[in-house]
Amino acid sequence: MQINYMVNKIKELRTKLNITQEELAGKAKVRRETIVFLEQGKYNPSLKLAHDVARALRTTIDKLFIFED
Amino acid sequence: MTLKQFKTIKLIFVVLIAVVTSQSIVLENYVLPIIVLAVSFPVLLYLRKRVKEVVADERDYITGGRSAMFAIQVYSCLAVIIMIVLYAKKDLNPSYEPIAATLAYSTCVLMLLYSLIFHYYDKFKMANKKVFYIVFIVIIVIIISIFSLRLLSGEDDWLCKNGEWVKHGNPSFPVPAIECK
Repeated sequence: MQINYMVNKIKELRTKLNITQEELAGKAKVRRETIVFLEQGKYNPSLKLAHDVARALRTTIDKLFIFED
Repeated sequence: MTLKQFKTIKLIFVVLIAVVTSQSIVLENYVLPIIVLAVSFPVLLYLRKRVKEVVADERDYITGGRSAMFAIQVYSCLAVIIMIVLYAKKDLNPSYEPIAATLAYSTCVLMLLYSLIFHYYDKFKMANKKVFYIVFIVIIVIIISIFSLRLLSGEDDWLCKNGEWVKHGNPSFPVPAIECK
C-alpha cells in the first residue's frame, strides 16, 4: 500500500488543550519552528517525535496523523 | 542560560575570531588565531551545554545534513574547475600552481572526511557521540600532523641563508617576495 497524503490534527488538538506552540515544543523537546512546520504539514516527523508530540497532546500517533491512500 | 544569550555570545566569538585572524595575518602571527580557536571551541561547547532550551532538533540535523552535502558538492565542483583553469594557466603566473594544488588537496581531504564520517554514521551506533568525537579528533590530528610534517620538514622549500633565498629541493612556488633576514 502506498501512502499518498498525510494530514495531522496537531493544531486542532493543541487549540483544544489551550497550549501554545512554544509550550508544545518544550514538551516534545523541539524548536517552535518545528511545530510550525508540523502543523503546516511541511515536515514529516520521525517516529520518536511523532510519539512525543502525540503524548504531549494526550493522544496516540494514529489519531494524530491520518494517512490517506 | 537562555538560547538568545547563547546566540549573542556565539556571535561575539565569531566576530572576535574574525578580528584576531585578520589582525594575525597583518602582523604575521599565525599562532594567535590557533590559540583563540582552541580556546573558544571548548568554551562554546560548555556554554551550549548550559542552555536549557532546545538548541537544535531533528529537523535541524536533517536540514544540516542536506545543506552540508550540497555545500560539499558545490565546493568540489568549483574547486575542480578553478584548479584545472589555474593549472592550464600556470605559465602566466607561477603562483597559480600552488593555489591549484591547495584546492586539489583540500577537495580530496574534504571528500575523505565526508566519506569517513558517512561510513561511521552508516555502520555504527549514531547515539555514541563520545566515540564519534574521539574519531573526529584523531582524524583532525592526523591531517594536521601530515601538513605540519610536510611544511616543517624543510623539503622543497626556499631557505634563508646569509641574507639570500636558497633553493632547497624542488619548491613548486617562486622565490618569496619578502626580505630574507
